[in-house]
Amino acid sequence: MSTQQTELKGTVKERAQLALNNDFLRQAVKFTTERLRSGKLKAAEEHGNWEEWRERGRQIRLHTIAHLDYYLGEFANNARENGVHVHFADTAQDAISIALQIAKAKEAKSAVKSKSMVTEEIHLNQALQSIDCEAIETDLGEYIIQLANETPSHIIIPAIHKNRYQIAELLSEDAGEQLPPETSVLAGYVRKKLREKFLQADIGVTGCNFAIAESGSIVLFENEGNARMVSTVPKTQITFMGMERIIPSWADLEVMATLLPRSATGQKLTVYMSGITGPKREEDGDGPEEMHIIILDNGRSLQLGDPEFQELLNCIRCGACLNACPVYRHIGGHAYGGTYSGPIGAVLTPALKKNVAEWDDIANASSLCGACYEACPVKIPLHDMLVSLRRRKVEAGHDHPLERVGMKGFGTVMSNVKVYHRALKLGKLGQKVVVRDGGIRAKIGPLKGWNSHRVAPSISKQLFREQYGELRSELDQQAKAADPAVAARMREWLTGRDGGASHE
Amino acid sequence: MRLLARYGIVLEFPNVQTCCGQPAYNSGYWKEARAAAKTIINAFEDSDFVVTPSGSCAYMIHHYPEMFKEEPEWQEKALQLQRKVFEFSNFLVEVLGIQDLGARFPHKVTYHPSCHGSRLLGVKHEPMALLNNVEGLELVPLPFAEDCCGFGGTFAIKMSDISGAMVAEKAEHVIETEAEVLVGLDMGCLMNIAGHLRYRNQPVRVMHLAELLYEGVSYSDEHTANRA
Amino acid sequence: MSNARKDWLQQLDEASKQKQEQFLNGIAAKLQRPRMTQKPQRPLQGAPEFWEQFELGEVEKLEMFQRNFEAAGGYVLRAATLADASNIIVDKAVELKAMHVLRQDEQLLEQLGLEQAMPQVKVRSWNDDALEDWKARAAEADIGVVLADYAVAYTGSLALLSSKTKGRSVSLLPTLLFALVPRSSVVTRLGEVLKPLDELKRLPAGIHFVSGPSRSADIENDLTIGVHGPGIVYTIIIDEL
Repeated sequence: MSTQQTELKGTVKERAQLALNNDFLRQAVKFTTERLRSGKLKAAEEHGNWEEWRERGRQIRLHTIAHLDYYLGEFANNARENGVHVHFADTAQDAISIALQIAKAKEAKSAVKSKSMVTEEIHLNQALQSIDCEAIETDLGEYIIQLANETPSHIIIPAIHKNRYQIAELLSEDAGEQLPPETSVLAGYVRKKLREKFLQADIGVTGCNFAIAESGSIVLFENEGNARMVSTVPKTQITFMGMERIIPSWADLEVMATLLPRSATGQKLTVYMSGITGPKREEDGDGPEEMHIIILDNGRSLQLGDPEFQELLNCIRCGACLNACPVYRHIGGHAYGGTYSGPIGAVLTPALKKNVAEWDDIANASSLCGACYEACPVKIPLHDMLVSLRRRKVEAGHDHPLERVGMKGFGTVMSNVKVYHRALKLGKLGQKVVVRDGGIRAKIGPLKGWNSHRVAPSISKQLFREQYGELRSELDQQAKAADPAVAARMREWLTGRDGGASHE
Repeated sequence: MRLLARYGIVLEFPNVQTCCGQPAYNSGYWKEARAAAKTIINAFEDSDFVVTPSGSCAYMIHHYPEMFKEEPEWQEKALQLQRKVFEFSNFLVEVLGIQDLGARFPHKVTYHPSCHGSRLLGVKHEPMALLNNVEGLELVPLPFAEDCCGFGGTFAIKMSDISGAMVAEKAEHVIETEAEVLVGLDMGCLMNIAGHLRYRNQPVRVMHLAELLYEGVSYSDEHTANRA
Repeated sequence: MSNARKDWLQQLDEASKQKQEQFLNGIAAKLQRPRMTQKPQRPLQGAPEFWEQFELGEVEKLEMFQRNFEAAGGYVLRAATLADASNIIVDKAVELKAMHVLRQDEQLLEQLGLEQAMPQVKVRSWNDDALEDWKARAAEADIGVVLADYAVAYTGSLALLSSKTKGRSVSLLPTLLFALVPRSSVVTRLGEVLKPLDELKRLPAGIHFVSGPSRSADIENDLTIGVHGPGIVYTIIIDEL
């Protein structure tokens, strides 16, 4: 198996710098995410009562994850009843080894795939290729990314970072003739090319948006029809699902079907929503003859029972947090370095990898603005999780030594006002060298980064705390009697508060 | 302070206060953040209301109870503090019931809602109410107003290039509005945006809402005095 | 299937059942409680209560379906009778010079009489001949004709439930799709189709909701129609059926 995609090059900061210097990438990502997020806002508003739906979605996910052993067991047993071969995999390697066993037994020469982040996570394509089974991505964006030998940079728009000219070039090379950079022509070429692949393929590989415990069904959301192809045409179907994809019933699917497409693209429903319950039986007209479902842990269970991170498993992979994130918009998905990008990736990648030091710095790539939480259809507090990740990193001793010294100093200074005053005075004295016209432009020391984009303010000649005495006596002299209406309201608040009401 | 004194409210500035501890908290240094938090909790133990000119600092105090999970007596104190902390505009509108201060500020103004105050603390309609009641003030909407300015405390230092790209985008939108004044509720964000505007030599004046209101009230007072 | 293969699958299944116990016990341990073997109590299930009350009138329902389906790029036509629907399909087939038409093996669709009305066109009925390569037939078809089980107004979706006579390929592989739906089968909410599925003992292998033509926005977020599934989709709502 190739490790080319698992290897991290440099730090988030370095990768971000590359992205920031790529104007096209920034423009493309900005344009599409802005369109998607306005679409989402419009769809949520049009639907109405969005907060109630969000809360319902969250409740369903919380309940399912809290009883995951029951629901996953129920799902597996029902799927078996339907004739599915169910498999459990603790790690990516386990999942790969099961998939390869099936492919070898089928003597499979080719596998067509619909979009699946889990298969990206376990690097299935390289594994299939290692046994001479061609793995073909059939989602238009994924097909383009595969031709470019890259990885997706967005959960739902994998080729968000490519323009039509780059895509035309890739597809022309694939076609062996020059194709014009017109979307309809390019898509038409892919339709024709992949039609043959669907009909020839031995195996169809799908992901799984939701798995319904009570009926043992899997549910796929898509717009192109390739997931339907993959789950209808080839004789063998292999579905990969993260162990947390479960919902209890079809009634719950209505809530997920309300939240997912609206949050992802602003659609009322994706063009296709398909519930698949087992392989073809005697009484069916078509469908795969053999169906496997591989249920994957790969670090997910590490979040269970962890009060700070269990909610991470509620994620429905809509990508709304990526579209809302100002950091993602500027650096794109590849800068995050993992399979999952954006705010969800910044938390999920270290969480799935047990927060090993290598992935530590991803949590720093956020201003903690909370836009991700606001956009999340199941209300995952990603901004709080980022802080928790940073705290754990410090507790584990993986922090930067210089920062540690600085923060220790912060603690000392802030816990004692005398020391704080001395520090301010020292600062005032020290800055004399660099202050020009009330501001600091010099790109030195810790201000180097800040001052590459801004002028830093200097510490005031006279601090508020130094003026306070004067101000206070000025106000005391002209002291007014309390405005009666205002005083009454303040009293009211105080009474209400002591009665136990808290301000939110 | 001068604004509130007009309504007979006595404001204390406990000189023993330092910083709320957010830079350490957000960077994962909770031990250090707790040290700062204890100073703040002590400083305001005797106050009825604590008003802060920064939504972000107010939001930080909402984290205190969680930080003291293992120190119950401090957690209780933190909860008490949390109940009496208010962001400035929220205090004016919701507690005092004041929306119109009789201010006059004849300028074109745009408003940046800071993430912590607006999105996470829910202070949204208060600044709007206060600004809409300022005579002569023309409020122009800021495109993509709710987008983060890229400050994020230590983020601006650690991930300075990403932060720089974010503040550049924010400043671009501010310049687009052709407003003379950018007003906000959070000194951190304002310092960030002002720093970038100044770096680009843009003449937009950056003010805290309290500053703007005070200037507006003083302007009105002078006018009334002149007419009399 | 060969016996060796059957044995191999059986072995896989046995191994999986053992693995399942270990896997689920691991989850329970992480959740810091014993394995759950009883169905948990659920205070909340499915859509919010207020939503269950939402119900459109007959006329509004049809209008909303049409509006949503057309907004997604599909077409909605009305027909009084099956014969009218047949005329619509024949006219379109002639206009587009269709060579191959494929329909599901449903009695109602047979009653359309497409075979008789278009002798010049090869009209086939899905799966009526065990020796035929049906995937190839579906892939070459210009037009597919299916009977939809429901139409959902609020999302503008057709619901297609598979069966022996209702092949999934017929609604997927042809270039143009006609879906017939009785007017009485148009419902307001998605939940009206989904919730009853919880009551069925055995579900159809394929339950497909189709909300317009196949599409993609993967190239510069520029919408393209007809990527893998049908690029043109007509719904014919039939009054008397």
